[in-house]
Amino acid sequence: MKITFWGVRGSYPVPGAATVRYGGQTSCVEIRTESGGCLIVDAGTGLRALGQKLSREGGVPRQFHVLLSHVHWDHIQGLPFFEPAYIPGNRIAVYALLTAADELDQVIGGITRHEFFPMPLERVPAQFQFIEVKPTVAMDIEDFHVLPIALNHPYGAVGYRVDADGTSVAYVADTAPFHEVLHKQHFLCGLEPLSHEDLAALAAMRAGLVAALRGVDTVVYDTHFLPEEYKRFPHYGHSTPDQALEICAEAGVRTLVLYHHAPSHSDDQMDEVAERYRQLGKAQGIEVVTSQEGMTLMVGAQEPR
Amino acid sequence: MKLRFWGVRGSFAMCGREVLRYGGNTTSIELVAASGTRLLIDLGTGATELAKLLMQGEFGRGQGELPILLSHTHLDHIQGLPFFTPFFVKGNRIRIVGADPPGLSLQATLQNQLAPHYSPLNGLENLAAGVSIDTIVPGSTFTLGEFEVETALVPHGNMWTTAFRVTADGKVVTFLSDVEYPEPEAPLPEALHLARHADLLIHDAMHSDDDYQLRRGWGHSPARAAISVAEKAAVRRLALFHHSPDATDAMIDETVWRARAETKIELFAAAEGSYLEV
Repeated sequence: MKITFWGVRGSYPVPGAATVRYGGQTSCVEIRTESGGCLIVDAGTGLRALGQKLSREGGVPRQFHVLLSHVHWDHIQGLPFFEPAYIPGNRIAVYALLTAADELDQVIGGITRHEFFPMPLERVPAQFQFIEVKPTVAMDIEDFHVLPIALNHPYGAVGYRVDADGTSVAYVADTAPFHEVLHKQHFLCGLEPLSHEDLAALAAMRAGLVAALRGVDTVVYDTHFLPEEYKRFPHYGHSTPDQALEICAEAGVRTLVLYHHAPSHSDDQMDEVAERYRQLGKAQGIEVVTSQEGMTLMVGAQEPR
Repeated sequence: MKLRFWGVRGSFAMCGREVLRYGGNTTSIELVAASGTRLLIDLGTGATELAKLLMQGEFGRGQGELPILLSHTHLDHIQGLPFFTPFFVKGNRIRIVGADPPGLSLQATLQNQLAPHYSPLNGLENLAAGVSIDTIVPGSTFTLGEFEVETALVPHGNMWTTAFRVTADGKVVTFLSDVEYPEPEAPLPEALHLARHADLLIHDAMHSDDDYQLRRGWGHSPARAAISVAEKAAVRRLALFHHSPDATDAMIDETVWRARAETKIELFAAAEGSYLEV
């Protein structure tokens, strides 16, 4: 199994000279098995370039599977620009948490209404199918065994553990840590006091995540903030590399991939982050890799890197 | 009047080495009058870059004032809104001025952009600075501080865009982006009227001529439509704008060379960068 990063940025795309090496497009990864099975996780702006590549691969009609962690703009904005969606006969299954009162197709359909985008979803030639995922309820999708994991993010988000080819990769974005804020379905303008139930819910979510990540080879984790940034914005729903390392160490993960970089982080700053956490990880026996747009990682200890 | 392009790219923010010179951010243009008063056109990702500059000044202290003209609500013209940091500082007075999308209200559309599914901001009411949304009827003329704004509705695929003619310090900038005329060489009279004798015309030139044949009806113009408006309206300078996400710097250079060979009008391709004197 291998994983390719098409968008590694959080919040919004950041073009320009300062981000040209790590990349400016938002969340999107491609997971492939040795036999060519393909799973797409998140549909941020990185999806546009992935779609162009998949179109060049040919093989029409094709079935695509797109797992969404949640439906914030930076994770769905690429969908209207996904080239295979404009090829008749293609089928696109979109998996996501049912986060609020609206149906998922209305949420996705909502971004393609005329006020936002020129072609409405119902006129797109490919056939879309929307599938609700439930945390802890595993799904078999082609060659992949997929386990959705509840995460701590405004209006809810899910991570995914994906097993195939005798190895495993997990995608943990977007999530806040689990000690001082519990995201629910309302706006937070800062930290709120936590009830006993809240603390219990956080502990359960954290335990569920660690259990799901147990022994996973490679974990891609939301490390949007550096520790000093996190202190200012603990209620934004994102983690730091330190918090990711803590979870990965507890779960016995081999490789941690830093992901969902803050838009303000320049390439030079990311170089420092990469080196600092590579060292910190090494001290704990974890290989820490900082994701860059276009990077492909082989998953599984038996594979040469 | 000075002008700075913060975002010139159409449809999709494009990253990478191939687009570094013209820039990959989506539509956002800052106009500055001689007195220092500002006016912004559109809130594409380019606005997030301007935001950094604004926050170093009075907007960082909650004392900023900014009117923003919105041409329409396609994503590439509003995607910078949730990340426009002056909204997060109480005291800043920010007005969004634009027309209702067909069959909808502008207020409801922007509210929906910040709906909890899509954004943790969870609604316009959570912007600390607040925002006043003023709906205008295209065709009307109004004043925003020192800027006099004349507007017109122009066709944009299956919806409409508001085009602007902005006058300040005796200079005129006309913004005609996200527009497609029934025939590229036969621009609509309302577009010509808005561009008449402008010092600078900023015009949609998303497609090369070849590309345009495949994209007819999607709501954007080839460069020759921009040239046609510039010539017929006798503008002083033309900025080709709303570059295709697939247009590399080299391709845009080529579009400019070809366009220059076709007309006597002074023209250039809009690029992210420094302030231009209009």
